[in-house]
Amino acid sequence: MAEKPIQGEKRVFMTGNEVVAWAALAAEADLMYGYPITPQNEVMHYWTRLAPKFGKKFLQTEDEISAGFTTCGGALAGKRCFTATAGPGNILMQESMAMAEMMRIPTVLVVQQRGGPSTGTVIYSQQEVTMTCFGGNGEGLRIVYSTGSHQELFDYVIKAFNSAWKYRFPTFVLGDGYQAKMRESLVIYDPALKGIKMEPTAPRLGLEGMPGVDRPPSHLRNTYNTEEELFEAVSELVAAYEKIAPEVVEYQEFFTDDAEVVIIAHGVVTRAAQAAVKTLRSQGIGAGHFRPVTLRPFAVDALKTIAKRAKKLLVVESAQGQLAKIVKDAIYGESVPLEGYYRPGQGITAEEIVELVKKGM
Amino acid sequence: MKTTRIVEAYIGEYASGKSEVALNRALSLLRAGHKPVTLVDFDLVEPFYTLRPIKKELEEKGLQVLAWETRKTMGLGEAGTVLKPEMRWALRRTGDVIFDVGYGVGGAAKLRLVEDAPENGEMKIFVVTNIARPITGSVNDIVEYVKTLGPVDGLINNSHLGDETDAEIIQEGARIVSEAAKLLGLPVIWTTVDIRLSSQIGKTDVVGNPVFFLERHMDRTFW
Amino acid sequence: MTKVPNMPKSWRQETKPHKFCPGCGHGLVLKALGEAIDELGIQDRVVFGCDIGCSLLAWDFFNVDTVQTHHGRTTPVLTGVKRARPDRICIAYMGDGGGYAIGSQHLVNAAARNEKLTVILVNNCNYGMTGGQMAPTTLPDMKTETSPYGRNVAETGYPTQGPEMVAAITREGAYAARGTVANVRQLKGFIKKALQNQIDGNGFSFVEALSGCPTNWSTNAKDTWAFIEETMTKYFKVGEIKAPAKKEE
Repeated sequence: MAEKPIQGEKRVFMTGNEVVAWAALAAEADLMYGYPITPQNEVMHYWTRLAPKFGKKFLQTEDEISAGFTTCGGALAGKRCFTATAGPGNILMQESMAMAEMMRIPTVLVVQQRGGPSTGTVIYSQQEVTMTCFGGNGEGLRIVYSTGSHQELFDYVIKAFNSAWKYRFPTFVLGDGYQAKMRESLVIYDPALKGIKMEPTAPRLGLEGMPGVDRPPSHLRNTYNTEEELFEAVSELVAAYEKIAPEVVEYQEFFTDDAEVVIIAHGVVTRAAQAAVKTLRSQGIGAGHFRPVTLRPFAVDALKTIAKRAKKLLVVESAQGQLAKIVKDAIYGESVPLEGYYRPGQGITAEEIVELVKKGM
Repeated sequence: MKTTRIVEAYIGEYASGKSEVALNRALSLLRAGHKPVTLVDFDLVEPFYTLRPIKKELEEKGLQVLAWETRKTMGLGEAGTVLKPEMRWALRRTGDVIFDVGYGVGGAAKLRLVEDAPENGEMKIFVVTNIARPITGSVNDIVEYVKTLGPVDGLINNSHLGDETDAEIIQEGARIVSEAAKLLGLPVIWTTVDIRLSSQIGKTDVVGNPVFFLERHMDRTFW
Repeated sequence: MTKVPNMPKSWRQETKPHKFCPGCGHGLVLKALGEAIDELGIQDRVVFGCDIGCSLLAWDFFNVDTVQTHHGRTTPVLTGVKRARPDRICIAYMGDGGGYAIGSQHLVNAAARNEKLTVILVNNCNYGMTGGQMAPTTLPDMKTETSPYGRNVAETGYPTQGPEMVAAITREGAYAARGTVANVRQLKGFIKKALQNQIDGNGFSFVEALSGCPTNWSTNAKDTWAFIEETMTKYFKVGEIKAPAKKEE
């Protein structure tokens, strides 16, 4: 029996993609399915090097359509499976993730956003928010974590497996090309050390016993005959999702209690936003920062509270308003003015945000 | 009179610190009066992510840099392995040549793409090691890893934790890397230390290896 | 005055020297293709498509209309062009990933439909542009970034036999061949026949070209050629696999 990949805890220096591979090992993932696409290739490079040492498996599929569907198959067979992709590969994953949404399959997909649309750049963006949250032909009944540091990548990949298997909605860890390739130190650990128990898995296909004799056969479908059936099925999904949403929602607030201007940003941009707030406060400007950690489900109530108090909201993202759309949907009815700073495919610095806030005053 | 020039290749695991060490070495040769000194960005898995943002800055200091400029690579959607032709002929240049070799299953064999290397005898291949990277975290891991690279000439202790680096991790690295080196029958060339920590570590590390002080440049490249 | 080297007329001079790695086989395949286009006199009728991967570097290579598509989607995009403009000579250019992995379903279906298309596939046993991952044509035990301990055939099968597959699923009228950059003259001959097959309206034509990737193989010139000529040929047979029967005059 292979030993645990991480014993105890250790401070290490890694790139984001490697963190994902190590976190999946720590989370006792069994299988990775994947296809090469920059900038997430190193997740596979590290998994293929480490997995055999711990009895884990890997398959490079013929494309991302296949990677997504094989991940669904593995999860239905009761194994912790995951895959990773970016950009055009993420587009191809939407079909399988729609199936996962309808059939409540516990998939884990790590997305390292790159510039888009189309081939775009291999570097960075936050332009896959809409797709990761609402892609496919469903209602966006997904769990999406947006990380901003390597420590978070580690923590949330582990959490993603637990959320997927506990709540059984397709779960995503939304990173980006900068996080994928950047180098930082973090503490990797055995989850058991922190009192984290891995959610048990259960198969829905290939169960023990003779079907029809020992047990009813498992007949899984994602298609319905009448409008009424479909409405009922989707209503059930929605009800289940709304029930778990309060447990899953995560967000962070920085100096928002008395803030006049609240900067809203997610993922790696939170670093710039946090630094900007520090600078602005030191200059006597009442700025604050709201950071959604889950993009789905979104922290609607928390943001509404802030919208009622603030004089202005400033949405800052490396996309053309994808986060802003979610924000506007959440605070519909509030009259607070909202401005957007949209930089598709470009990194955003604290200095830029400081300038913007001062200019607007 | 034949002057022996310096020809060195820095290889190692992904994110072990090869680029930072290689470029500091190249700059130190320049400061010592060597001329010309050429730095070759031989990262063929991520050629656009290493030296490209600081190429101009290094050239202004007098270094010759063989690296892709992002602007000149327009049209490439998947920025992966594309060997710049000048890199193949790098050893035909005069003066010192320092190679920053990217990671990959090829190991030191990648250098076979450079005309005349490594058979020409001039080139020394050094493995940059950071014990904070789990794949090279222990003596056994390092020995196993170095064995996969093919023939090399020495190890470099580049143990650090980025902004969280302290003397402890560097000295711990010195002990582990030196022990691994002994088992491999290889010398430890240096222990590298960020110049800002120079007050905490002297001219030699705890095992007696010479210290090479580095000025961090790579923190200004996004990774 | 700088002397411009001889190059096919259909090549675009302004974009030379090209961006492929020194020692890459693409340059030779594209030369064979360029000469074939010149000799057949079809430069003004060609629509050229390239895939994602190193084939992408051919996007401004020729003085012909070119479209760079998504990975594996060059075959369907050019199918779309051909169906809209049957008088154009459509060439889909891709690597082993674009043809045998992500593009395999499109390749199989285009072949089965006997699309009047010419597919040229460059086989160098790895995914070059993204850093050297395993490809469908990676050889047994060959080390790549996603088979770091060597390709395990028990788990991942043997290298894909593309032209043989195309030959098996197509009917009379199709053309399938495998050439090599080690014999550019022969390769050009195969490409010309493939293009002529499309000009004559016979059916689907497919040419695989064994090619070198020293950058990812980590080989010097001598070892690169040895790999193409001696090692790859153990798994990939060079020659014509299928050709339309000669019509009675």
